[in-house]
Amino acid sequence: MSWLRYSFAVFLYLLQCTDAVFEDQVGKFDWRQQYVGNVRFAFFDTHSQASKKLLVATEKNIFASLNSRTGELFWRHVDKTGPEGNIDALLVHGQDAVVVVGDGRVLRCWETNIGGLNWEVLLDTGSFQSAAFIGVQDFVKYVAVLKKSAISLHYLSNGHQKWVENLPDSDTVQYQTVYSGGQGEVLVLGLVPNSHIVIVSYNIEDGEIMEQMSVEAPWMSSLEESCVVVGRGILLCIDPITLSLYTLPLNLEEKAEMNQILLQSLDLEVSSGFQPLLTATQPNPARPPLTAFFLQLGPEHHILLDLSDGIITALRDFKPSRLATFATTGEKTVVGVMAPKNETACSINLFTVDTGRRLLDTTVIYHLDPSGGKPNKLHIQAFLKKDDSVGYRAMVQTEDFALTFLQQPGRVVWSREEALADVITMEMVDLPLTGTQAELEGEFGKKAAIQDGLFAMVLKRLSSQLILLQTTIGHLWKLFYDARKPRSQVKNEVTFETLSRDEFNLQKMMVMVTASGKLFGIDSKSGSILWKHYLENIQPDSAFNLMVQRTTAHFPHPPQCTLLVKDKETGLASLHVFNPIFGKKSHISVPALPRPILQTLLLPLMDQDYGKILLLIDDQYKVTAFPSNKNVLQQLQESASSIYFYLVDSSQGRLSGFRLRKDLSSELIWEVVIPVEVQKIVEVKGKRPNEHVHSQGRVMGDRSVLYKYLNPNLLAVVTESTDTHQERSFVGIVLIDGVTGRIIHDAVQKKAKGPVHFVHSENWVVYEYWNVKSRRIEFSVLELFEGMELYNSTVFSSLDRPHPPQVLQQSYIFPSPISTLEATLTEKGITSRHLLVGLPSGAILSLPKMFLDPRRPEMVSDQSREENLIPYAPELPIRAEWFINYNQTVARVRGIYTAPSGLESTCLVVAYGLDIYQTRVYPSKQFDVLKDDYDYVLISSVLLGLFFATMISKRLAEVKLLNRAWR
Amino acid sequence: MSSPGGQGGGALSTRGGAGARRMKWALELSLGNTRRDRQGGQGDAMYPIGYSDKPVPDTSVQETDRNLVEKRCWDVALGPLKQIPMNLFIMYMSGNTISIFPIMMVCMMAWRPIQALMAISTTFKLLESSSQQWLQGLTYLVGNLLGAALAIYKCQSMGLLPTHSSDWLAFIEPPQRMEIMGGGMVL
Repeated sequence: MSWLRYSFAVFLYLLQCTDAVFEDQVGKFDWRQQYVGNVRFAFFDTHSQASKKLLVATEKNIFASLNSRTGELFWRHVDKTGPEGNIDALLVHGQDAVVVVGDGRVLRCWETNIGGLNWEVLLDTGSFQSAAFIGVQDFVKYVAVLKKSAISLHYLSNGHQKWVENLPDSDTVQYQTVYSGGQGEVLVLGLVPNSHIVIVSYNIEDGEIMEQMSVEAPWMSSLEESCVVVGRGILLCIDPITLSLYTLPLNLEEKAEMNQILLQSLDLEVSSGFQPLLTATQPNPARPPLTAFFLQLGPEHHILLDLSDGIITALRDFKPSRLATFATTGEKTVVGVMAPKNETACSINLFTVDTGRRLLDTTVIYHLDPSGGKPNKLHIQAFLKKDDSVGYRAMVQTEDFALTFLQQPGRVVWSREEALADVITMEMVDLPLTGTQAELEGEFGKKAAIQDGLFAMVLKRLSSQLILLQTTIGHLWKLFYDARKPRSQVKNEVTFETLSRDEFNLQKMMVMVTASGKLFGIDSKSGSILWKHYLENIQPDSAFNLMVQRTTAHFPHPPQCTLLVKDKETGLASLHVFNPIFGKKSHISVPALPRPILQTLLLPLMDQDYGKILLLIDDQYKVTAFPSNKNVLQQLQESASSIYFYLVDSSQGRLSGFRLRKDLSSELIWEVVIPVEVQKIVEVKGKRPNEHVHSQGRVMGDRSVLYKYLNPNLLAVVTESTDTHQERSFVGIVLIDGVTGRIIHDAVQKKAKGPVHFVHSENWVVYEYWNVKSRRIEFSVLELFEGMELYNSTVFSSLDRPHPPQVLQQSYIFPSPISTLEATLTEKGITSRHLLVGLPSGAILSLPKMFLDPRRPEMVSDQSREENLIPYAPELPIRAEWFINYNQTVARVRGIYTAPSGLESTCLVVAYGLDIYQTRVYPSKQFDVLKDDYDYVLISSVLLGLFFATMISKRLAEVKLLNRAWR
Repeated sequence: MSSPGGQGGGALSTRGGAGARRMKWALELSLGNTRRDRQGGQGDAMYPIGYSDKPVPDTSVQETDRNLVEKRCWDVALGPLKQIPMNLFIMYMSGNTISIFPIMMVCMMAWRPIQALMAISTTFKLLESSSQQWLQGLTYLVGNLLGAALAIYKCQSMGLLPTHSSDWLAFIEPPQRMEIMGGGMVL
């Protein structure tokens, strides 16, 4: 019976928590953008003229097909992250795309139309060198995979291995390339650096070595970088030291020597310090490569050469030229060259490959994005027009990972910002008020009142009211106009002009920082990119720290964001100060940072322009303030004694706390060392500064209060054992006061392993780990309470807290591994909290915090029922309606960002990883908004009806009274 | 000529008669003419002003009348006390759950004594004629206070009174931070 009662209680709860979207709400508040990452290989599907597929393999281990007309994804295959899923090579022939994955671990063949897997074979171990199609009599039949010590041949049709052979002398010779001219030969080229080249020829039928020869090449250090095969099996190499080309026929029988041709003899000059590069093309793997090839002589100098009968002739000199590439359609091969036109534009032209003649009407103007990177790759999709001339479209890849697809005469068909596949950190900034609202604000500003007299003020007031009326009418008209159109047709074009804060502050600006150093400003309502800014010269492994110094609340001061970029190698940091709404770089002078910066600290103190003060701590524990003026320094001196900061050095296992001195140096006040031999610090989290806790305690069943221990200076430190043996591994969690260094609580989870994900908020810490013994994912929750009485209800000082808090803990089993964890956040903290759990499947689960409550009782009592506690059950449920992103999975979700909106019930959520997904969640349902399906007509008609009924009945009553009085 | 008692009765009747209040004004020159009005059929003879068809009561003060007045006053004074057993019974029956009917009961129980206490001056005027006016007044007051106390007790047992610390929890402001702290892992 009691069991029934529990289940009923749980059922009631679940009923209450149900918070799924309805079918007609799909896409109304949420959007998803899918990305693939920086493109490593790109091929246009050329086997039919009408094909609009673009096959890309990326550095994010993704193989995808894009629609070349719209830039949208046709399909996408997400492989494992890291080197295991790394795509080493992509070969495309007809409808087959052969991919070598994970350093030659797997060979896969995909069907390019629908993205289905044709076949997959596991290859023998050995580091991958190269792969090539092998054609026999105009027909591509095999794929050859060259590894460090073996070569294997596979049928293209089914992936079966035809033969595998060990390479001779593979311990001394570095085999690097495999080549086939389509005559049924398989040539493997190897190199002993600075000594000689080895050429081994295999029989295609049984893998027997037919021939083996070595050619002296004492100058050569790498075959792949300096050699190409041109024409009918002629190896062409370039020596950057002597600046000469070497040719070597590969099909010679007797011992041969390389034929040296000095570049000078061809009247070619290499720009100093530049490593010349050779590029050749083999349009059809069953045919030998073309005789024409590119030689890049400088960063902006290409030359098209032709090698026939051992003689090199220059076809055309492209100077200046940034990029050059070959493209083939049908039987025709053309050359696309991008040449700088002026500061802001480049022109792309096509030339024939056999003569170097420019094709008429093939110019495409490519406008360089001033807020983007330089182009670094050009892909040409050539096609035959009806009159047999060659037309083309071009895809330009820039160093900021953007893809731009251009059509003649320079129209941008689409562009993709692949940098967004790797978002590091983000912030959401409130949008500014509309122009009229801002004008009103300005009108009542102090400055205006001083400047203008009374009469001017009245006029201003009247005019602003008029403008307000005008905009209101315009808004209403637009609402009316839009309401008549079907929803799908209503276009919400967001531009800077229409950008303004909405009624409930639900639309915000998402400022995203990506690993490539490109910053984006994205409108959270539509997902359109409003601004982008590329920071050049960002090292790939830099650390980013984004801070909002001034919000939009301080009109007329513009909002201000500061991004600290720290180079991992040199340790030096730089500041980028910008306006988060428009993305423009601010003109504020930035302090010079000659010393490495360890951490930053954004103070809640403001300077006279309402900007929060940012402190930068360098490696000598000295502090630099930004902005740094007299007012700021004075403020800092006044409050220096109450400014503390902590630093965590994971490599030395040291946590140290400092206090600011008046001269902006700092003194060490505490230090905790966690021995690195035993455990290492994985992560440290404080509380979010913008978090509000409405309720200072929890109401017990007997209506007394258990006060929360809300220490704003509390830090949660998570450690993992260095010993990974499953009996001895553990996960530790330490709660430390960041001001005093006092350890409030520590817990050790034995037989547990990371990765640990955790959330620290209010008075609780939720963390997740892998239980090695039971082989399952577990959640554990720590809650801290002050007790039945508050020690000091007006002021919180870490220095005056004599009583340690009561700590409650409970653990649960979670039926899925997780990728990331975050908690919802609302304006005032009245709404109940949910945990947002990113699952590896791409789903985002909104798990009520109520389920992770250490006060969940094992035995139900009246008091616990009064408190609405769910009886303890070790398993946490996953319910399909808790997935806030229904079927819009976020691949490789890495982080979730939550921001409060103007509505207390609503929390804005952005999940990022490979994809970006934005939505809203209502942890306690929408208690402050009328529902979408609210029956306005019924209610207003009832109201009106009642109103008239009262009027009529009043009149009737009056008449009756009068009549009676006359009687 | 009319006796003070009669006057008092008249006052009571106007207070109780809601029908009289509806009219903006009414010229009532004789007692009971309203009733006759209601009965009034056709062929009603017009009486001279000041004429009443009822016999005018004997206005001379008699000993029995005085006793009657005393008794009536005691009735008024003991009214609230007499209601208490009834209230207790209702309290018991309605239980401690918070739902619409017990709430309505409690409201009524609380409202009646409060209303009576607010109108206590009129009640005192009513009791003026009695010789034990002060005792009666006190009894009336105590009775009403008891009724109010009972209502409060009921509220308390229903948990409607903010007597626990949890009832004031929402008004506690978050404490002010004395220290500013920040930092993190070395970048």
